[in-house]
Amino acid sequence: MAQQMLGRVTRSWTTRRDEKRRRMQLVQPWMKGPVLPTARVIEALGTLIVSGDSIVLEGDNQKQADFLSRSLVKVDPGKLHDLHLIISSISRPEHLTLFELRIAKKIDFSYAGPQSLRVSQLLEDGKLEIGAIHTYVELYARLLVDLIPNVVLVCAEQADAEGNLYTGPNTEDTPVIVEAAAFHDAIVIVQVNQIVDKLPRVDIPASWVDVVVEADSPFAIEPLFTRDPRHIDELQILIAMMVIRGIYERHQVHSLNHGIGFDTAAIELLLPTFGESLGLRGKICEHWTLNPHPTMIPAIETGWVKSIHCFGSEVGMDKYVAARPDIFFLGRDGSLRSNRVLCQLAGQYAVDGFTGSTLQMDADANSSTVTTGRLAGFGGAPNMGHDPHGRRHSSHAWLDLITENKPIVRGRKLVVQTVETFQKGDVPAFVETLDAVQVGKHAGMPIAPVMIYGDDVSHVVTEEGIAYLYKAEGQEERRRALAAVAGVSPVGRKAVASETEALRKKGVVAYPEDIGVRRLDAKRSLLAARSMEDLVAWSGGLYNPPARFRSW
Amino acid sequence: MTDKRYGANFIHRQSFIELDARERATALIDAGTSRELLGPFERVESPWLAMQGVTPQEDDGCVVMKGKIAGQAAVVIALEGAFQGGSMGEVSGEKMTAALDLAYADSKKGTPTSAVILLETGGVRLQEANLGLAVIAELLGSILLLRKYAPVICLSAGMVGCFGGMSLAAGLASYVVMTREARLGLNGPEVIEQENGIDEFDSSDHALVWAIDGGEQRFATGLIDALVEDDTPQVVEAIRRFVGEGVPTVHRSSQVTLYRSRIGALDTSRQWDPKELRTLWTAKSATEGKQ
Repeated sequence: MAQQMLGRVTRSWTTRRDEKRRRMQLVQPWMKGPVLPTARVIEALGTLIVSGDSIVLEGDNQKQADFLSRSLVKVDPGKLHDLHLIISSISRPEHLTLFELRIAKKIDFSYAGPQSLRVSQLLEDGKLEIGAIHTYVELYARLLVDLIPNVVLVCAEQADAEGNLYTGPNTEDTPVIVEAAAFHDAIVIVQVNQIVDKLPRVDIPASWVDVVVEADSPFAIEPLFTRDPRHIDELQILIAMMVIRGIYERHQVHSLNHGIGFDTAAIELLLPTFGESLGLRGKICEHWTLNPHPTMIPAIETGWVKSIHCFGSEVGMDKYVAARPDIFFLGRDGSLRSNRVLCQLAGQYAVDGFTGSTLQMDADANSSTVTTGRLAGFGGAPNMGHDPHGRRHSSHAWLDLITENKPIVRGRKLVVQTVETFQKGDVPAFVETLDAVQVGKHAGMPIAPVMIYGDDVSHVVTEEGIAYLYKAEGQEERRRALAAVAGVSPVGRKAVASETEALRKKGVVAYPEDIGVRRLDAKRSLLAARSMEDLVAWSGGLYNPPARFRSW
Repeated sequence: MTDKRYGANFIHRQSFIELDARERATALIDAGTSRELLGPFERVESPWLAMQGVTPQEDDGCVVMKGKIAGQAAVVIALEGAFQGGSMGEVSGEKMTAALDLAYADSKKGTPTSAVILLETGGVRLQEANLGLAVIAELLGSILLLRKYAPVICLSAGMVGCFGGMSLAAGLASYVVMTREARLGLNGPEVIEQENGIDEFDSSDHALVWAIDGGEQRFATGLIDALVEDDTPQVVEAIRRFVGEGVPTVHRSSQVTLYRSRIGALDTSRQWDPKELRTLWTAKSATEGKQ
């Protein structure tokens, strides 16, 4: 009787396992152990993947399973169609060719930087259906909840004959994708640059891997985190000086994440010079969660940095990183082990602050890098650029942002946004309404694609000064503080001189002179490295910049 | 250590590339002897730019500095690469030509006056089209006059490089000095790509561009006279040396037979590697040609 009431179902509990076995048996005749011959890859993909499947294609922020994506577009669309593609970064043209050919129909993704224009077009043409646009950790979290894949296509540097994998310095997203698949009866297909007898180290064990195929060429990877110091200008240096004095020194920021951009590159290059002259070495910026930015080399070499955990590696930095095991996380083989999900987690919960630049900000400090006509997505910035309310451990900087004197208060992570009041030309960066609002409406998104919400932002730094938004009392004062540093943009023109004066006295706004920064000192000669050649020199010749960054 | 060039000395060098045109010119002239001719306070600017929506500059991106180098009379003419890509307009071109002509007049009167031309330029300023072309023709003539009496030294330090009509000025110079960051060529990489397609020349391929136009290659194939580090004392030293050497016995541009035979002997049916040219056209073989 009890059984009847509970309505116990009669069903098979092994449908996923059975289906996987069925598909694997079809390709078995071609395989030797887990190894599939390169020439069979298109046939194998067409067999192992079935119409309607959810698949993950490893297209990370940096490395790309491009042999598998180039092969997938060659599968007969008559036979394979309507796939649900889960991909963190839509980076390569063929990712979208899958939709033009109707091999794929629906997409869940995080970032579409280089392909953002085409995403918008395909959406308009009705050839692409967006599930949602995520941040990196959200997308990977959903692989374990309601976006569980049937097949995953990933990449690694090397495999051995048993199928153990060495991902090399750019481990990035591979572990989490494989984890979600291997333990829920999805098929794990890996492209490798090379099959070798003995791996330098095992990043993914063979028992998690089903098919290994040697690629026709090494996987594609982009140097996204390299900024040439030659292009850092004096406004960026002024902003960097203010961040160091008015924020890092003031709140004693020991651990942090930097976004990628020239503002943050300038900060990194000012630590050994400006920071040193203030006697701040050992007092700020010791523990980092960020990729091996080449512009970090001078700070590392001058003893500023105690540790760096990385999302991924950076092209050209492998030798340098391998030579600094006290700083980076390396395997026994001596090469970097990165991990995007773990580093994102560290960047959310373990650091004092995040600093990143943005392109557009409204009067409430909501910001976005969305431009009209493009669906660029979010990547990882919103994960770094927010205050995780689940944090419970304290640090000086976290406690320093408490403004209320109550028995129960919580600390706050620093979320620092740097922004020049005008973008290139005469386009103001501070606007009444973010472009994101219109873009969101146009693309039928349920909410506007805001990169960092204003209420998470603790500080905004422009070439005019710093708005200590966390200190502002009430929405009105907050807006006035932001207007005070927004220059002659539409938002800045609302500032009233007498109010700004009062905010400066109160410490809610600081201009350079209020924090001992002299505008005229903001010279390029203050940068520890002013060219790629300088970075190579600082690294003792260990850093090998990619060709596009060489001017010799 | 992959390269012994890199060390503490390199990091602490005084970068010449970092200097603007005025600072570069000042750095080359003996301390306390420099004065600027037709400086920005004379307010001689291009009349053509404003009507095309470009903000003019009151020196028109050309700095003329008179003074002494290694104790000898000299004029330094520096193009500002940050203003309109160092392009040659009517005013900047006339400033350069007039400075060369004055140096010629002084030289003829018995005060040999060397000219140092700092080339960070893509050539003719497109907004001033024909005027720019005409003025380049004039100044090439002025170089030819002066170089008989005093050396004309061209320096390209970077990062703009030296292209277009002004590469002809470098071609006529008595001596050419470059850094490895600088580039020298008749047609700029972007122009070649635009005219002949990306298969002919991929201007985004830095390795390729510098392998052909870069200072190292130009020096190794004997087309320039000195390759210096991006280090102000080293640049100054090289310029002082060439001022001291005076007028060369034979100018590079007079060695028509040598360069014709080099090109003539080249099998153009196959793609040459820039490195191969270094063995074929060594700096040494060019010197031999001067005998």
